[in-house]
Amino acid sequence: MVKGPLLAAGLLVLVGILASHLVLRALVNTQERHLREMALLEFAGVEATIGPFVVRDDIWEMFDLLDRVTQREGALRPLQATLIDPLGRVSVSTAPDVNPLGAQRAGMVSDATPVTAAQYDLGDGRIALSKVMQYQGRPLGQVIIEFDTTGFVAERARTAGFLIAGNAIATLIAALLGFWLMRRVLRPVARLTDEMGRSGDALTPIPDAAIPRRNPEIAKLYDTYNGLIRAVEERNASARRLADRERFVSLGRLAGTLAHEVNNPLGGLLNTVDTLRTYPDRADVVRSSADLLDRGLRHMRDVVRATLDIHRDAPERRPLSLADLEDMYLLIRPEAEQRGQKLHWDITLSEACAARLPAGPVRQIALNLLLNAASVAGYGGEIGLRLECDGEVALLAVQDSGPGLPGHLHPRLLSDTPVEPGGGVGLRLVRELVRGAGGRITLGQSQQGLQEIQVHLPCAGIGAQDA
Amino acid sequence: MRFQRRKVLTGAGAALLVAPGILRAQPVPFRFGLTPVFLDDDWQLLDLLRTHLTIRLGREVEFLQRRTYKEVTALLLMGEIDAAWLCGYPLLQNIDRLSALALPVWRGQPNYSAKIITGTGRAAKGLGDLRGDIHAYSDPDSNSGHLVTVSELLKQNHRPEAFFGRSFFTYGHRNVVRAVARGLAQSGSVDGYVHDAMRRAEPELVARTSVVWESELFGFPPIVVAREALDSGPARDFFAALATMPESDAGADALQMLQLDGFAAPNAHSFDQIAARMRIVAERG
Repeated sequence: MVKGPLLAAGLLVLVGILASHLVLRALVNTQERHLREMALLEFAGVEATIGPFVVRDDIWEMFDLLDRVTQREGALRPLQATLIDPLGRVSVSTAPDVNPLGAQRAGMVSDATPVTAAQYDLGDGRIALSKVMQYQGRPLGQVIIEFDTTGFVAERARTAGFLIAGNAIATLIAALLGFWLMRRVLRPVARLTDEMGRSGDALTPIPDAAIPRRNPEIAKLYDTYNGLIRAVEERNASARRLADRERFVSLGRLAGTLAHEVNNPLGGLLNTVDTLRTYPDRADVVRSSADLLDRGLRHMRDVVRATLDIHRDAPERRPLSLADLEDMYLLIRPEAEQRGQKLHWDITLSEACAARLPAGPVRQIALNLLLNAASVAGYGGEIGLRLECDGEVALLAVQDSGPGLPGHLHPRLLSDTPVEPGGGVGLRLVRELVRGAGGRITLGQSQQGLQEIQVHLPCAGIGAQDA
Repeated sequence: MRFQRRKVLTGAGAALLVAPGILRAQPVPFRFGLTPVFLDDDWQLLDLLRTHLTIRLGREVEFLQRRTYKEVTALLLMGEIDAAWLCGYPLLQNIDRLSALALPVWRGQPNYSAKIITGTGRAAKGLGDLRGDIHAYSDPDSNSGHLVTVSELLKQNHRPEAFFGRSFFTYGHRNVVRAVARGLAQSGSVDGYVHDAMRRAEPELVARTSVVWESELFGFPPIVVAREALDSGPARDFFAALATMPESDAGADALQMLQLDGFAAPNAHSFDQIAARMRIVAERG
């Protein structure tokens, strides 16, 4: 939120620099114009007077005239004046020690800037300007006057200093003001950003009292945000309902098998009850019938307990045990047998590693995926579960001999993109459980060439996931 | 009434007689010629001179200034001016028509010398070392500013026209000092009195020059009048006015500015040395 104001301040600085440059350029132009006017006046004065002296070769009068020119005071003081004759020799100079009478100084003419030049270079603190002199149509040579421009240079430096200081102060004030204004303008947006960036907590709508209704655009933004929050909440609720529904998908899909599992021993048990009624006095029959009843009822109890354990509402916080794996085997074996499928059960997970995995999520993940596997493997196919530990990560791979997970179902299992309710056969539930356990899902193939959905779960311990 | 009429007529007649007298009472100004060769155009000095002379002469004094001795001499010869402050050399050139009225007294005597100067730091020991110089003369008709140097070169068997590399006239002794001090000329011929007087007025300028040669003494540049006017009343009055300069404030101040003691009458031999120099030049032809 600081970027915007900083950008505004930066722009103001740029504007300040540009303005300073323009002012300095204008000053330079003014100084050059001033110098040109001054120089033209000086040259005009010299030209009007010096002619007869040159014609008479009156050295002293020429010198005296030019010397008077260089005696002037002011910002643009002529420092030196020299008359060069048409042959490039010094006719007279106010600096005779440098330019003695008759000395060849054609170079002075070429080095000097014609007074009519478009631009002057004033940077050196002095500039030599030249003008061709004529008297009654006769060329007298060129007068070169060297002007002291240190005043101009100093004025320029002074102006540049004032401009830099003034613009720096003005820009600083404007930048601070701009920064404050931008912060003030962007404060509602900053609040929105803070609300959206709040980590951990759920997003909360902005109270209606806090919405600035006098600022329609911000009010609309807040209203849109609140609408978004409500939409997200509704979506979450919908997702929760979907997860709840999917929680029972496996139950529904197991229902037939469970009924069969309960029903199968039930007929035998009822026969045993009839046998007991028929031979109540035969101790051996009663004993064997009681054993039969016991085994049948225990089997039914185990099936019901396993079912209840899996579909308990609250996720279990207890660690995974080998008994849980036996439960899963108990539940899925009949499903496989019913379909004539071969069930691979390859559990190499150590007890210690299993103890660091949460029982509930692992059971739900495995059962859902195994049911899907049984469904897609078809009659006479193969399904399997491979559970092993690789360092700090446990691998839970569910195998099937089916064609593999269809592409349109990939997002349900492999991404968090929103999905339409239904049709997922528990894949989104698996996805959420894996994510909740801090794991990830990949697709692959087993050594036997079976399709595999591989779930990698960190063996971080039960408590770590709640932290 | 008749008496009164007579009185009025008498008064009117008297008035008619007096009127030309009143017109005559407006005397023509005394015209005094000057050149910047010797006397610089100093307004304050001229004002003091005018004040003193006007009071002493009882009539206005008008200064006529020309650039050269030749111009002022011509004015004097034509009667355009009553007197002029000239040099002994133009006086002697026109001795048949001009006479010296008075000589300034400087340091107790009416004499001065000519000097040849160069810029300081130069190792010239005498006039002979100045061969090939750019030389600044004062005025072609100046004794110290031209005649002395030319005649001295002749005395030393040099050819004046070929001795210096180049020469020019500045038409002022002060200008000669300026030209040498500024380096425009490498040497110059100057009036010794002016050079010394400038030492007080413009010490920085004079400090940049050195005297390499000094002449014998000559009669100081005189106040000159037409020969026929030498014994006239105005000439006598003018001499008296000059002679009494130390007695008036304005005159004394003017003398102080000129660094002169006063004015004295010339004697018959005042300009013998200049005449000797003239002969040297004349003999060469």
